[in-house]
Amino acid sequence: MASTVIGAGITIEGEVSADDEIVVQGTIRGKLEAREGVTVEAGGVVEADIVSGPLTVAGSITGNITSSDRVDLQSGARVVGNVKATRITIADGAQFKGNVDMDV
Amino acid sequence: MAQTRSPSPASRHGAAHASPAVIGAGTRIRGRLTGDGDVTILGHLEGGVQVRGELFIGEGGRVVSDVDAGALRVAGVLEGDVSVTGDIAMLAGARVRGDLHGAHVSLEEGADFEGRLDCEFDLPSELGTAATTTHARSARR
Repeated sequence: MASTVIGAGITIEGEVSADDEIVVQGTIRGKLEAREGVTVEAGGVVEADIVSGPLTVAGSITGNITSSDRVDLQSGARVVGNVKATRITIADGAQFKGNVDMDV
Repeated sequence: MAQTRSPSPASRHGAAHASPAVIGAGTRIRGRLTGDGDVTILGHLEGGVQVRGELFIGEGGRVVSDVDAGALRVAGVLEGDVSVTGDIAMLAGARVRGDLHGAHVSLEEGADFEGRLDCEFDLPSELGTAATTTHARSARR
């Protein structure tokens, strides 16, 4: 699968929907739907609800996350929003505010 | 202990200055894209594009939007008006509909363009004026 990289100087305001893997180093505001994985790198900012496969966060997400797979919050991550996932890790140093629903 | 799972190509090169963006073939954007660096679009974008660097619309890429960029290279589909400070290149396979304004415009054989061309170029000194405008109603090479 090809991959989409939203570079550090890039801002997208609107709806992004992808069959590719997405790496966010810049900013997305609006809505993000990805069939594959999403990585929000340190410095990346997502102000949007996210629907994705596996999600790895080292940057900032403000919005609800619905993942069909795992969600990993790394040190430095800042997530404000509810998370729905099958598995989740929150590393020491990650900041998180929201509910977690693992469909138990 | 927490490590990024797989370093992306962009982070390997470092992002000291504005790093490029690639909108992959399977990605669709409905909205505005703005950026400092170069942007390559292989997927679909509908809305607006404003980049300081070069916008490259690859083969298979489709952009339905006005474009405001430093430079433009098109090998895919572009529908919209274009305002570029630098060069515009329409490559073979490009299909462009809209009014283009740039410093220098080139059309490769196989490029399909319909619209107006508005560019400044230097005429040979015998002809006098330094700037002129060219209108091309339908240019198909």
